[in-house]
Amino acid sequence: MSLEQYRDVWVYLTREDGKLTRPSLELIAAGRKVADKIGQRVVAVMLGYQLGDAPNEAIARGADAVIYADEPWLKNYLCLPYTRVLVEMCRQYKPYAFLFIADELGRDLSPRVAYRLKTGLATDNIDLEVEDYYFGKDNTTYKNVLAQIRPDFATRVAKIYTPRHRPQIASIRPGNFEPLPHDESRQGELIRFQPSPVEDDFKVEIIEEKTLPKSAVDLENAKVIISLGLGILKDGEGRPRNPREGLKLAEELAELLRERYGLKVEIGATRALIYAELKELEGIITKERQVGQTGKTVAPDIYIALGISGAVQHRVGMIRSKNIVAINTDPNAPIFNIAHYVINDDLYKVVPQLISHLRGQ
Amino acid sequence: MLIIAMLKGVPAKTTGVITVSGVLRREEMELVMNPHDTRALEAAYYLKRRVGGKVIGLSMGPEPKLVPIMNDLYEPSQESRLVPRMPIYGVDENVLLSDRRMAGADTLATAYALAKGIHRIIQLHQEALDGLIELVRNNAPPAEVEGKARELYNENMLPNKVYSTLPTVKESYVKLFVEGRIDREELLEKLEEARRDLINFIILAGMKTSDGETGNTGPQTAEGLSEFLGITIPHAAFVVDFEVSPEENSVIAERKLGNLLQKLRIPIPCLLTLHTEYTPRVPPASVQKRVRLNNYRGQLRKIRIWDATYIGADPEKLGFAGSPTIVGPGMEIGRPPVQKVVGKTLVFKQDMDRFEWNGKRYGPFKKYDPVGGLPEELVRELESKGLLEVFTLKHMIEELFGGLQVVARAV
Repeated sequence: MSLEQYRDVWVYLTREDGKLTRPSLELIAAGRKVADKIGQRVVAVMLGYQLGDAPNEAIARGADAVIYADEPWLKNYLCLPYTRVLVEMCRQYKPYAFLFIADELGRDLSPRVAYRLKTGLATDNIDLEVEDYYFGKDNTTYKNVLAQIRPDFATRVAKIYTPRHRPQIASIRPGNFEPLPHDESRQGELIRFQPSPVEDDFKVEIIEEKTLPKSAVDLENAKVIISLGLGILKDGEGRPRNPREGLKLAEELAELLRERYGLKVEIGATRALIYAELKELEGIITKERQVGQTGKTVAPDIYIALGISGAVQHRVGMIRSKNIVAINTDPNAPIFNIAHYVINDDLYKVVPQLISHLRGQ
Repeated sequence: MLIIAMLKGVPAKTTGVITVSGVLRREEMELVMNPHDTRALEAAYYLKRRVGGKVIGLSMGPEPKLVPIMNDLYEPSQESRLVPRMPIYGVDENVLLSDRRMAGADTLATAYALAKGIHRIIQLHQEALDGLIELVRNNAPPAEVEGKARELYNENMLPNKVYSTLPTVKESYVKLFVEGRIDREELLEKLEEARRDLINFIILAGMKTSDGETGNTGPQTAEGLSEFLGITIPHAAFVVDFEVSPEENSVIAERKLGNLLQKLRIPIPCLLTLHTEYTPRVPPASVQKRVRLNNYRGQLRKIRIWDATYIGADPEKLGFAGSPTIVGPGMEIGRPPVQKVVGKTLVFKQDMDRFEWNGKRYGPFKKYDPVGGLPEELVRELESKGLLEVFTLKHMIEELFGGLQVVARAV
């Protein structure tokens, strides 16, 4: 394939209640960053029924053009018809890159699209760059390749390149790009794509669709996370403590920060604490609070780790927090290696001090 | 029914990971089963009790690392270092795709190999029935037909309803034929039907792996397999609950896409990836008894190890060669540049302009910057001038929250 004929950065946008979702706006910003570097366009891609003003909104939010399909049979998301339409669009227009949101829908859809196009898919990126990539096997330098930056499974990030294939497909984790401001004066081309439904794609049938209430726990959008580990089971003298006491302190601190500064504060936990299935924490410290490799990856402004030793599986889930405060009695706790603020002391002593200082300030 | 559970060996500890220019060298690390795959095995166990058949564990990776994991899948209720404990009957057999040419695969090349492996599993069972069908067609004497059936049954290739040595199964097709209760034509019909049934498989996978964390391989395997079989194999990712429809030709699955809960009817054959929130259903005992005719002989504790040639894979599409993505050098995100130990670290009391000391320039410094890295003598001098202090909890609070606007005075 001639790589040069592939142009423009496509972004696959989703809507909720007729409006573009926040991750979609972030995705336009991600596309913008790449497109500006290579002097190409950001093209928003939308599938659905009765899209209304959403395509214009995409332009106002930073896209240069929109390719959309607005058909009754695309009203609800189904992987097979959606895959077919996106693949047809790609074959016709040949984009340089195609970005998806790294949410569940993106993870259901983008792998099939990538496989059908026989191209690479880099999942879960936190940033994108454009670089020249030298590939030793071909002894070739590929110009302007997308460097897709994702957290590696250790305490590292890795760059993924798809030098020889187009489009370069990548999914972007929500929360890593700032949406561009709404600019009514922006102009852009709206292209209506008119696909035909293929019966075979509707072998999966939607029986029912429900929108679940959003989880009460929203770690990803919290500004401050106070996380608990197994260390709350003991105090500085090694005496056993009811884990509820630790939880109570964390909640008191959380409430104080919410009230005083209007911050969004959440209580997090390590996998070890959740899987200990302590009776005292039942129904409170649940899986939806888990931070780490098999839980949520978070990057709040302030991450306060209470009694967390910091296994690598936990660290990878919170290492990008802007300020990490670690309180632990063990001077060798690995969490201290990545903490900005090291407090080698008893949390049952320190947290009450923190609370009283905050109150007094 | 052929119930295929896709499993992955993942590094037990992600510390001390050995990579060579970004490619994981799995053979140099201890591998354990991907924790998310327990859901796939639980779902497989539900299906076996609901519709009968056999559970086949399928994986790809270096033989010395994967064989011990696969061995522990026969009895997952036992304590194991490699497989989480599960209160279920284990897999009936294991297929391991192992070939140096498969190494360094991204999700596309992995899905390609797994889909080829699944295609081969189906072919293998078709070939077994084809062998039997041919004998029957060629008017082989009943004793020869039974001999062949027994041989295939012992290799776990025929379900009880076709042939069985179980005393409880008195009416297998072959037995009925040997006893003269059905004729050759009827037997042929039954065998053809059993052969057609082989396409009604279900593939199960965890929603992601704990190392790659992509979740791509499940959906991509369904796509690859669609290509090889010439029929669309649908998939649903993030299934939290499912059951087989009463007609047993589809699954009714609930899956979670963020806060959207979709209830889907998915025709069999299909592929499901199971959400961490998935809990298996328990079919009624009457059903469990009825479907035993669809089961196979039992556990075959011999792992089938297949290379690229055996599964008919194009080496150009496997492993590193077949991977469009290339992992560049990783970058450490280690210790933060500035670290302060509360009650210990000496910090500047106030902002300091650039200054000269012993012919060298230092600074500028900001309030609460640590003195780390400055010559000891200089630190002592600064300290004696009262410019330094020990960093305290109060200072930390000031740094973290001092710039924030107070919206309400807490009581």
